[in-house]
Order: sequence, then C-alpha cells, then structure tokens
Amino acid sequence: MSIRHVFAVVRKEIQHILRDRSTLVLVLLAPTALMLLMGYALTMDIQHVPIAVLDYDRSSTSRDFVQQITAGDDLDLYAQVSSMEEIEALLMRGEIKVALVLAPGFARDIRSLRGMPLQIIIDGTEPQSGAFAVDHVGWRAEEFLNQALSAQMGALGVTQGVSQPIDLRVRAWYNPSLKPRVDMIPGLISMVLGFPALSVALTLAHEREHGTLEQLMATPITRAEVLLGKMIPYVLVGLVNVILIPLLAMLLFRIPFNGNFIVFFLLSAVFLFAIMGMGLIIGVFMKTQPAALALSFLLIFFPGFFMTGIFFPIASMPEVMRLEALVLPGTHYAIITRGVFLTGVGLDVLWPYGVMLAGLGVIFLGIAGLFFRKTLG
Amino acid sequence: MNINEQIIIETQSLTRAFGKTLAVDSLDLSIRRGELFGLVGPDGAGKTTILRLLTGLLKITSGSGSLVGFDLATQPEEIKRHIGYMAQEFSLYSELTVLENLRFFSQLFDVSEEDFSMRSERLLEFAALSSFRNRRADHLSGGMQKKLALACTLIHEPEILILDEPTTGVDPISRREFWDILAELYDDGTTVVVSTPYMDEADRCSRVGLMYEGRMVVCDKPEAIRSQLKGEVVRVRPDDWQAARAVLGELPGILETQSYGESIHLLVDSAEKRIPEIELALKGNGIGIKEIRPAPPRMEEAFISIIRGLAAHEDVPEKP
Repeated sequence: MSIRHVFAVVRKEIQHILRDRSTLVLVLLAPTALMLLMGYALTMDIQHVPIAVLDYDRSSTSRDFVQQITAGDDLDLYAQVSSMEEIEALLMRGEIKVALVLAPGFARDIRSLRGMPLQIIIDGTEPQSGAFAVDHVGWRAEEFLNQALSAQMGALGVTQGVSQPIDLRVRAWYNPSLKPRVDMIPGLISMVLGFPALSVALTLAHEREHGTLEQLMATPITRAEVLLGKMIPYVLVGLVNVILIPLLAMLLFRIPFNGNFIVFFLLSAVFLFAIMGMGLIIGVFMKTQPAALALSFLLIFFPGFFMTGIFFPIASMPEVMRLEALVLPGTHYAIITRGVFLTGVGLDVLWPYGVMLAGLGVIFLGIAGLFFRKTLG
Repeated sequence: MNINEQIIIETQSLTRAFGKTLAVDSLDLSIRRGELFGLVGPDGAGKTTILRLLTGLLKITSGSGSLVGFDLATQPEEIKRHIGYMAQEFSLYSELTVLENLRFFSQLFDVSEEDFSMRSERLLEFAALSSFRNRRADHLSGGMQKKLALACTLIHEPEILILDEPTTGVDPISRREFWDILAELYDDGTTVVVSTPYMDEADRCSRVGLMYEGRMVVCDKPEAIRSQLKGEVVRVRPDDWQAARAVLGELPGILETQSYGESIHLLVDSAEKRIPEIELALKGNGIGIKEIRPAPPRMEEAFISIIRGLAAHEDVPEKP
C-alpha cells in the first residue's frame, strides 16, 4: 500500500468534487435540501380535521358534547347531518375525514352512568387523520364523561373521595410533548447524511464510462489504493454535512442536542466509512451510472427509509427483515443520532453501534476489494 | 548482441476468446527494441484486444507472452511499470488541469518530484502544451487532449509505448503533429506499438501487422507489403461512378476494382496497355472521364487486396 498513490487519488477526487458542479450539489447541497423538504413534510402537525356529526339524541347534553369536541384547533365541525347517507356522501367527496354518530339515549345513558353510546366513522383511505381524530375524540370524551360524573356525584351530595374511573398519566421522557418532529428529525439526519454514498457509487461508474478507469488500471496502482482513494474524499465531504445538518435541525426544527458533539462526530465518521463502503460495492458491480443510481436507491435509500427503524420499529418487522436491518449502517446510526440528540447518551452506551458500523465498513470494503478487478471483461 | 536487436515483446500462440469468438487467435509476435510497430485491420479484427492483452488489462485465454522480460500471465503489474498505455477512448480527468493530469499519473508511477518537474517541462514543450499548463483538460481541443494523453503516458519514461488508435477522431493537422512526435520518440529509441485505421499512418511505421478476424495475416515492412500488390494501379475519376463500375467490371485485364469516394482504383496487369482500353470502353458507353492516370500503389490498395483474397468466399464490405 503506497500512501502516495492513495493521496494522489484522494487529491484528484477532491478536485473533481469541488470543480464538478453536479457532484458538488449531490454531496453538499442535496443532503441539506432533503433535510429541509422531508423535515417539514414529515413533521407537520395535523390540525383542523373536518368532522360531521349525526346527532340522533338531540339533547342539551349531546349538543354540549359536540360543542366541547370541536372547541379546539384539532377538530372542526364541518356539518351537522341527519342521516347516514349524508355522512357517506361527505366521506366519498372527501369533504370530511371523520364522522361522529351520537345514538338516541346519549344523554340518558350518561346520566345513568351506563357509558357513552358514541360511534366514530373514519375514512380508512387516510388512516393518519382517522387515528388522530380517534385519539382526540377519545380524550375529549373522557374529559366530558369525568365532568358529567363529577356533576352527578355533586348532585347526589357526594363531594369527597370521588376518584375518576381511569387516571392514566403518560409521561414521555426525552420528548416531553411527544411531538413526532423531535423523534423524526434525528432519524432523518441519519438518512440524509448517508446520501453522498450515491456519489461514491457514481464515481466509479463515471470513470468506467469515460475510459479513465481503463487508464488507471494500466498503472501500477493497487486495487486497495483505488478504493481507499475513492472513499476517503467522500467521507471527508460527508463530515462537512455532519456539522451542517445538525445545526440546521437545531435552528429550524428546534431539536435539542443533548449529547456530546465530539462523540457524534466520531461515530458519524465511522458511519460514513460504512455507508461509503456500500457505495463502493455498487460502483464495483455496476458498469454505468444509471445502473449505479438505480441500485443505490434500491440498496441504500429505500431500505434506509423503511428498514432502519426510522419510521417503523424494527421489532415489528419479520425476522428476515430484522436480520437485513442489522447489515444496514443506517439502522445503527439512527440509534446513535437519536441517542445523541434526544437522550444525550455518550460512548458508554453507543459504543456497540460504533463497533458494528466499523465492522460493516471493513466487510463492505473487503467485498468491494474482492470483486474489483484490474482487468476488463 | 546489439541492444536494438533485443526482443522486447514476444507472444506465442497468444489467444483470447470472448465466449465462442476468438478475438485474437494464436498470435505469434516478436517486436524488437526500438521498433515502431503498426497494427492495422478492419474494425473488430482484434487490434484493441491485442493491445489490452499486452498491457495486462485482459486475461489470456491460452498461449503466452512477455514484455521487457516479464511474463504476461504472472507479472502484469511489473509490466505496467515499464509501459505507457493510451487507451482508444483515452479520456483525461476533465476537471483537472494539464499539469494536474500529468502530476496525477507521475504519482501513480512513483516518479520523484524532481524528475516530475524536469520531465513535465520537457513533455509540455515537446507536446507544445507549455502555455496551456493551467488550462482544464476539458477546455483543450481534441488534438491537444491527445497530446496531453500521450504526455501522461510518457511521464514515467516507459520502455514501451502502447497506443490504441491515438489519432482517431483528430483533425488532419493534429494527426500529423501527433505522428511527428511519435517519429521523434522512435528516433530516441522508444519502442512503440500503435494501432490505427489510417493507412498513411501505417506507412510511417517500421513494421506493420495486418489483423483480420483475430489472426495476423501479414507482418512486414510497409514497402514489402506494398510490393505484394500484384499488378499496377490505375486511378479513374468518371462522371458517372456507378455506371463506370459496371462497365469496368466486364473488361479483361482488370484484376480488382476499389472505390475511393468519386474515384475508382483499378488493379490491372499493365497500366500502359489497359488505360487506352478503359478510356475507349467508358466513352463507348457515354461515360465522361474527369481524370485517368496510373498511380503508385499504396498500403491501402495492398491491404484491401490482401483482405479480399482472404475473404474470397465471404462478403467483405468495401471501404467507402
């Protein structure tokens, strides 16, 4: 291994990155753009979900209930209807996502403490709004029932020792307001920081397409020198993103950074090493840039999205997918980013993930080296 | 033994197959130090494959070979240190400047900094690129890019230079300049192996090998190949080319006809005897003659004639 050879390739590659606008955009601007776009898209709070109400009871209690349900910013009373057909029509036209049906005897049942005869109809084609509405209607209904209960007890002269039927107090540690944004952003960071792996895959294919790889193969440079020389520059550029992207997340999305930045930087470097190794493997196997691009999305980005636990918990995946998730650098790095940003843990907790990433990087580099030949055809 | 008599490239039954096709079929070649060896032949004849085999870029299917005393099959990396190779699609790193490209290759070949500064100056001078040293490679003309590519392959002072169609797609003036540089290298004693589709370039080589369907069918000095042409060449420029060809095909004493643009080159047993007959026949058929004269035989006619002979039962497309 000649350091001079590796250095020659590194320098050439950095000159290429800095001077070729499309590469520069891909490695430096794209992660930021992705972060902004997806950050805003994924963390939008659901508000003002339109609902329709079909009140068969028509009592003052039912009217109070509807009034209380729609008092906040979360649910808006879109229409009072008088038949199920009307509800269906509104749902079909997409004007409402949720409908409430208050059964006859609504007030009577509450008064006699027999519960609340309430039906919620949600548009199953958009379960997110539906689930949101179910949660919110549930909270409001519980509140309403508790008030009604207290009132009943008061009327009966019982003022002491009344306890509510359920008193569940949920505390979300590390994310007190349970905003999805806070949980999503570190996961998202782990994804966008891996984006420059695409450029690594493309750079080998680019040299193959332009004939410079053939020229390189005719020199005494070794395979390891080529691969390291290709990988190092992208890890270095990736580290610029490691500084930029968390800053962006903290300023724009108000994400806390509870951990140690040095620890984060260090572990990020190991992650970049692993993910660039994946990029190299793709570059070694794919002969053209379009092919390298397609495979990068298939092997790096889609699994990075769906299989690394950012959106779907890994524990809920089938076993095969869980094993697959283990070989994806993003899986381990997502745990690291969440840990550093939210729980503020340090190396004492995160080191196993760092070790996993380093191991994966070595394995990926080994595979790339094994299949990268200095011969054509 | 004189140093110039040393065999520097040698192959025995060198063969390379792609699937069932033999791209190079049992090549026996020996090239002496200091030769300027030209490899010619139609597209797909196996020229590029030979050069890639010699540089170790392709694995040998069977047979053996050696360059500068190193074995092709077992010591390709040793060979790479001693040769300079310019691929057909040689493309430089386009975002790098002239000097940066040179430096990159010098580092890969472990040229010391002192040697680099000396040689790069000399090579830039040599390739007339001195005033463009800080220009990006993609802002050079095609001819200048080729010269820079050549300079990059010379930076480690290789003993053998292997060039795959270095002048394809280059304007005629740059082509001539490029060959003047090759001639200088040849005079300095560098061994050069070059493939080319241009016959005038083949004529400038010290020895030429003609490839046809994976085999080297002729390998000799240019003048010896030209003299293989049986008969004499008559050049005719008729005003109706197609009609003329039909008429000429019927005449006695014409061994072969080859078309070159508007003119037809006829291989005849005797130019002196046949020219009046040709004139008569064309005029008799109402075909005007813009020009008719005997011409010296060129490599081009010789090669086409040889290949036609080989492909007697096949359909060999004519050179347009």
